Amino acid sequence: MEQFITSWLGSTPAFAIPLALASMGLVLCERAGVLNMGAEGYMALGAMTAAVLTLTLGNPAIGIAAAVLAGAALALIFGFAVVIMRCEQILAGLATMAVGLGIAGVVGRPYVHKSFEGLQPLDIPLLDQIPLLGRLLFNQDILVYLTVLIGVGLWFLLERTRAGLKIRAVGEDPASADVAGVQVQLQQLMAITASGALCGLAGAYLSVASSSVWVDNMVAGRGWIALALVVFARWDPLKALAGAFLFGAIEALLPRLQAIGVPAPIYLMNMLPYLFTIAVLLIAAWSGTKKGVEPAALGKPYVRQDRH
Amino acid sequence: MSSFRLTLERRQQVSTLRSTTTYILGLLLGLGFGLLVLLSAGAPAATLLDDLVIQVFFSAMGLAQTLTLAVPLILVGLAATSAMRLRFWNVGIEGQLWLGAIGATLVALSDFGSESLRLPTMLLASAIAGAAWIAVPLILKLRAGVNELVVTLLLSNVAYLLLQHLLFGAWKDPVNSFPVSPRFDENEQLASLGFGNLHSGIYVALGITLLMTILVQKSRTGFYVDVIGRNRTTALATGIPVTATITLMILLSGALAGLAGGLIVIGVEHRLTQTIGINTTFSGIVIAFIARFNPLAVLPTAIVLAGIYNAGGTLKVFYGIPDAIVVLIQGMVLLTLLMVQFFSSYRVSLLRQSAQQPGQPST
Repeated sequence: MEQFITSWLGSTPAFAIPLALASMGLVLCERAGVLNMGAEGYMALGAMTAAVLTLTLGNPAIGIAAAVLAGAALALIFGFAVVIMRCEQILAGLATMAVGLGIAGVVGRPYVHKSFEGLQPLDIPLLDQIPLLGRLLFNQDILVYLTVLIGVGLWFLLERTRAGLKIRAVGEDPASADVAGVQVQLQQLMAITASGALCGLAGAYLSVASSSVWVDNMVAGRGWIALALVVFARWDPLKALAGAFLFGAIEALLPRLQAIGVPAPIYLMNMLPYLFTIAVLLIAAWSGTKKGVEPAALGKPYVRQDRH
Repeated sequence: MSSFRLTLERRQQVSTLRSTTTYILGLLLGLGFGLLVLLSAGAPAATLLDDLVIQVFFSAMGLAQTLTLAVPLILVGLAATSAMRLRFWNVGIEGQLWLGAIGATLVALSDFGSESLRLPTMLLASAIAGAAWIAVPLILKLRAGVNELVVTLLLSNVAYLLLQHLLFGAWKDPVNSFPVSPRFDENEQLASLGFGNLHSGIYVALGITLLMTILVQKSRTGFYVDVIGRNRTTALATGIPVTATITLMILLSGALAGLAGGLIVIGVEHRLTQTIGINTTFSGIVIAFIARFNPLAVLPTAIVLAGIYNAGGTLKVFYGIPDAIVVLIQGMVLLTLLMVQFFSSYRVSLLRQSAQQPGQPST
């Protein structure tokens, strides 16, 4: 039993990290007032880019860096569409998602199912032998620790710095922020690009760290789960991180239960995170906390002419 | 001393000429990008016209396959239209489609009702199942104000898991190693029209398009939908039955998506499989948007998109171009169309501004 829990917890980050990175990126973007439906596409593009470059150059670090850039570049196209051209955010996000999925599918085609040497866990002696939490805390790759750092950093940025205040101001009331001298478009473009970079990193984690191979449909809806996690986490990067670990733990548990012969309806149990998220939405709506948390200008294009 | 500044202004009145021109230019530009992508992915330029147009629309087998693919696309295009006219974000069309397929299969496998009425029962069951699936986000939105975007999205995942639960469990065909349901009986399959795989579901799709056109453009409900879509507060203030209209149109959206799933299993697959309906949410939204949310225009749009899907299959077989390219082309066309709309919605002008007048609005 102890060994079961140790290895279950140890495998949780592999499921949690992609969700955590993507949803934290989306939190940042939505706090700046931009609803970004493209996550699935940035993640696919990131996963493909990282895998292809690691395969051809043999260096996961270059692959991961390129994935971050690829995600950011695609997000910048989305940013141009919604911030400069004032496109409907949901539709432009869906279109960007399709572009990302499409490029990943087309460019990555020759590299499908070719495995490579990916990112390895850090070698921390002795500590990883600690029962229960040892493998979770001390037998992970560097991106896992980086993700936690990003989470804390993002929280600090949003809640404790002037730069974060500007981003939040733009998301709550772009007109007032504009009057106060905040460059609304610039803030939004930066937030969108950063969210694309984080989603690209999330994708890179899928291909380079957790599976060491690129396959079609690798992201498999994780971008959508990340989008739901943002609402689940009430637009808080630390809660998004925690929520991702919760979802990841459930995802990691189910195949293990099946493997040791527990007769569990795994498909039905896999529904739990989704149903749980819907329940959270409902509770938040009923308790009336929604208004205070959701960025007030989320999804609304801003034109100075509309300034009140 | 004077300086120049770019100003951005929302156009109060957009002439039909301007909006039509930008729309057509955007569509051409988007399709042009799509062609470039196809060529750079390795499609031979010499046979492109043949592969993309002649083979899929002007050869008997090709046209039959295109129309077969068009049946569910017409319905999901109408489903998206129905919801988007009210600015209700149904991004769970796939989920409703899967539920529709499950509903039809349930009737077939349980031999529910009389045999002579089996087919209509199956179609009805698929529509009801789709409507029931969208009823959840609808009720949550109307009663608690929960955002439908996330709920429809999440319920799609739940629907897919339900589909897998059935196909890997109770409904798995014992004589098949793949996760598929047993084959439907003869009387549970739609009549083939003797034209490729084309089945009588095409008549259902055509009939519903006609009914939707009348509903949206000629009926009182259609007028209500127009007003609510433009301004909900005004609609409430003028006494328009807002909740009833939204309920009707959104349940209709789910029912149409469910029917699309039903027609796929009843007309083409003749069993439930886990590969149906992938990407239909996005395709439905693309079709509705290109058709300008006009039900009658959904018909040609869906047929053209079906042709592209059909051609995508050919390109895959002959030139090894992955079918992801069809998704890429759809994304590029949608993004281009969205971006060119800027030029009909806004006026950009260069203003000469004297230095004594600060605070002129600029972009």
